[in-house]
Amino acid sequence: MEYELPTEFDIIIIGTGVIESIISAAASRIGKRVLHIDSNNYYGGLWASFNLDAIHKLSANTEVLDPPTDLINPDETTFALGNDFFSLKNFKTDWHIPKAETQPENENVEEKNETESEEKPEKPITQDSLIKDGRKFNIDLAPKLQFARGEFVELLISSNIARYSEYRSVSRVLTWLNGQLETVPCSRSDVFANNKVTVIEKRMLMKLFMALDSGDQEYLNYDNKTFRAFLTDKKLTPSLIHYVLYAISMSTDETLCLQGIQNTKRFLDSLGRFGKTPFLFSMYGSGEITQAFCRLSAVFGGIYALSQPLSSLIFDNENNFKGLICGKQRISAEFLVMGAEKAPPEFIKSPPRSFIARAVFITDRSIMSSEKEHLTLLLYPPEGGKNSCVIIELGTLTGTCPKDLYLVHLISQQVASPEDDFKHCVENLFSKFEDDKKPKILWSCFFSIPDSNALDLKTGVPGNVVLCPGPDLDLDYDDAVKKAKAIFSDLYPDTEFLPRAPDPEDIIIEGDTEDRNDEDEVVLKPEENTDKVAESETEAKSDNDQEVPKSENEHEE
Amino acid sequence: MDDYKFLFKVVLVGNAGVGKTCLVRRFTQGLFPPGQGATIGVDFMIKTVDVDNEKVKLQIWDTAGQERFRSITQSYYRSAHALILVYDISCQPTFDCLPDWLREIEEYASSKVLRVLVGNKIDREDREIPTHVGEEFAERHNMYFLETSAKEAENVEKLFMQIAEDLMKVSRFLCDN
Repeated sequence: MEYELPTEFDIIIIGTGVIESIISAAASRIGKRVLHIDSNNYYGGLWASFNLDAIHKLSANTEVLDPPTDLINPDETTFALGNDFFSLKNFKTDWHIPKAETQPENENVEEKNETESEEKPEKPITQDSLIKDGRKFNIDLAPKLQFARGEFVELLISSNIARYSEYRSVSRVLTWLNGQLETVPCSRSDVFANNKVTVIEKRMLMKLFMALDSGDQEYLNYDNKTFRAFLTDKKLTPSLIHYVLYAISMSTDETLCLQGIQNTKRFLDSLGRFGKTPFLFSMYGSGEITQAFCRLSAVFGGIYALSQPLSSLIFDNENNFKGLICGKQRISAEFLVMGAEKAPPEFIKSPPRSFIARAVFITDRSIMSSEKEHLTLLLYPPEGGKNSCVIIELGTLTGTCPKDLYLVHLISQQVASPEDDFKHCVENLFSKFEDDKKPKILWSCFFSIPDSNALDLKTGVPGNVVLCPGPDLDLDYDDAVKKAKAIFSDLYPDTEFLPRAPDPEDIIIEGDTEDRNDEDEVVLKPEENTDKVAESETEAKSDNDQEVPKSENEHEE
Repeated sequence: MDDYKFLFKVVLVGNAGVGKTCLVRRFTQGLFPPGQGATIGVDFMIKTVDVDNEKVKLQIWDTAGQERFRSITQSYYRSAHALILVYDISCQPTFDCLPDWLREIEEYASSKVLRVLVGNKIDREDREIPTHVGEEFAERHNMYFLETSAKEAENVEKLFMQIAEDLMKVSRFLCDN
């Protein structure tokens, strides 16, 4: 099954990160001949997800291949692909449990069908038992949540890409307040149900939400002042300020008022669409997102090839991109789009200055135990010189880890090193001992992702070549969508960006028949005929009746 | 709105050129499109069938050409209820690749997925894979086995009907328990 790639394209895209994949889908969609190619043997680049086995094999080596010279004309120059600026740094994994059980009694279960490995409650978890279940993990390099009414979700729906993936709603938002975990009151019903918030505070908070919702513009007087100053002047209590500032608006003490207001509004606007919080998570990990766009690109004729021996780019004497060398083939195109991490080092004017600190833990219980399995977002405020941390805890219902275990992602702007930056969170939230109420870390992984988003990726790059930045610090993909859209419009002005793909039929993809409790499972469809989420959402919707027309609830069959 | 009681996602895999798209088109549209290239813009095809007087809707997904360079997205396999692995009985290499496909299926598809092995193109006279070899392979890997001809419409209806019936049985069993 050795196939040769075609050699003439309108556009070649190297790398399968989110921005590259969105551009690929958009270009195929308008009929461009797209070659989407990656030297990796997996989709997603720095945005990918890996199982437990694969993440251990992740190495940061960038191999440079020598191109066959007979494919290059005398007046052309070549640049070798790949650079080391943007590969993962400080990558480190550790086990915190024994390799195998001490008693040899479980040797005879070796033959058991791996899919049915029900854990007996008392059976200790070992490295071997986790490795055996390793395929059930989908560990994101760049975990993301999506705002239910954000640009990304709207794009999924308007382009009809939503059908390639499944989503679950985040079921609670937590914060760290006065030395303990607290649930952030998101909606009106949350506010009233929260017994840590006094009656007076409840009124204050509702008044603030309603003022923002009704377009009250008092904040305009806070031009150069902070959001904290605004909230303080509103006479909110310290805990309310904490909830609004650090959790709902995901701000810091320095965030300017207007930004804080915008963030708060964005949070409130996305409430009541799906689930109890404004956020969605894509099942099986964020790495599925790039694949959804790649699938659409392929459906519209894009050619896909992973694991390709890409060696170099070819330019003419006027520095225009002509083509590339892949194995023994020369492939030409009018445009080249590539992930910054794939670019020849000559194209990178300045190395990344900031890094995303990341940690991933496998744990044995939730950070806040509860009857039902939660999908948790914890917004950990800045503390003692450390930046704020976004913490996402995923259970087995998200399709990213086996039963009775949790996958915890930590994300922050790096100050010192990932281990140092998360030290306080780890100490406060997790335990090293068995019989503590806090979860125990069974496996840990730390790494840094170079942030290419603030860099100049244009200067010195040939006119028909575009570099795409990698993952950013944002919680969601909205900024990535904006960037992809801008690049697409530069390449193909006056063409539609991802128009709705035709429906084979108006369908709803039900989840599989596995034993999920369904209330957080989400079907993304256009607004007029859906918003059909499980019944518990009716409650959430009425929280927000200023926004959502009542009739929406009547579509439930 | 739609009057169906069961909806199942069926996905096809196998080497390029073994006739995956032809099987789908034969079943859903009654057509055999000879020598066609990749179908642009068609994501999956739908056919509603009757099983025991119940309407069962089959959503049949094709690879969108991503199998050509072994680049099928993992998300393609997610939440599939049934998986049809196809080879060409007149082309040994397409049979030799089956273990690679199985590895991919085991990695990404649900463990509960119904797996069917299909030897296609039995209308051809230059057979390279005897029926019993396919049968044995299927048995060894716990799969259903069927030989088909999309061209002559042989066993195609049977293949999908069998899948619909089996999935319904499983689904009923889960409902009842």
